[in-house]
Amino acid sequence: MRFLGFIIVCLTGALLLYGTGEFPDWGDPDSPASTHLSNHYIEKAIEETQVPNLVTAVLADYRGFDTMFETAVVFCAGLACFLLLRDFSQKKERFYRHTPTGVILHVKDSKKTLKVGKEFEHMDKDWVPSDLIIKTVCRILIPFIQIYALYVVAHGDFSPGGGFQGGVIFGSSLILLAISYDLKTLVRRVNEKVIGIFAALGVLIYVGIGVICMSMGGNFLDYSKLAPLVPGDPHHIRALGMLGVEIGVGIAVTAAMAIIYINIVSEGRHDEGL
Amino acid sequence: MDILVILFLVTGLFFFLGGAIGIIRMPDFYSRLHPAGKLDTLGIFAMVTGLSIYNLHHFSFEALLLSAKMFLIVFFVFLSSPTATHSIVDAGMRAGLRHWTKKKRKG
Repeated sequence: MRFLGFIIVCLTGALLLYGTGEFPDWGDPDSPASTHLSNHYIEKAIEETQVPNLVTAVLADYRGFDTMFETAVVFCAGLACFLLLRDFSQKKERFYRHTPTGVILHVKDSKKTLKVGKEFEHMDKDWVPSDLIIKTVCRILIPFIQIYALYVVAHGDFSPGGGFQGGVIFGSSLILLAISYDLKTLVRRVNEKVIGIFAALGVLIYVGIGVICMSMGGNFLDYSKLAPLVPGDPHHIRALGMLGVEIGVGIAVTAAMAIIYINIVSEGRHDEGL
Repeated sequence: MDILVILFLVTGLFFFLGGAIGIIRMPDFYSRLHPAGKLDTLGIFAMVTGLSIYNLHHFSFEALLLSAKMFLIVFFVFLSSPTATHSIVDAGMRAGLRHWTKKKRKG
């Protein structure tokens, strides 16, 4: 099985290397990018898409396919981390802390569990006492980080930003929660099933918008065909389509970040770590 | 007005310079965190004050809003930078890193 995997990896790598042979050379004056493509984007993008931010226009409209598969790659990275690392077996040893006295209990029997509540609390093996300063500051900062992430996602077609960046900022706010409290807090707040569904939902939103465009009689991801579905100025329909796509990207990236972090840090057990 | 802006910017640059020299010249991990955490925070405060005053040259509501947004940067740096320094020092203590002393270690 391992050997088979190795062969598949080698074959894919060889295929990718073979594919790069078809690329034009660096700075080739006859390549499409140098002759007419860049000029077309710079001169016509606002006219054609009504989006002030050229980068977003190229990313989400002219190269919508590329970005769609990038989102799929992010989703696959999260999925691969889950499949390779997730370990459903319960850990045998557990540590509990008696809250009023601070006595630490080491339970070696895997069947015995103590009720966690007012009297006992879970404890990691390499436990670090929670720090009031860090906890308080992170509790103040996390909502602001998340609002800023939503702003970056929503404002992607007017100013620098977009789904990938906003998703990463949102995901980092979740990681900050895990660092400042502990991993159990994050896992309790963000259910594993929910983030799995969200990662798939993000890709689904992207592809779904493309399919809706197709069902309205256009090409895949041809946002101008969405105009009858959305009220408002039909000239801005491409910007709105891009916004929908960016939201999908943001959801997928956020969920993938959370999945990758939780699985790597806890070696797939989702109980303790960093 | 311009004098005030220049004064603030120079003050900020002075503190940044002090912080940069401190990071290079200080003898060990903990004392290096001291300029990194403190001087940069004050430097950012002075720089942003200067920039936001410069931004108010043509006074309008938008310019005022922009200056207020700049001060949000200062607010968040004021919150996060000392906390980050605190947690780095905490991690260093926990990892068992000894602090620097003037006494020369034997051997």
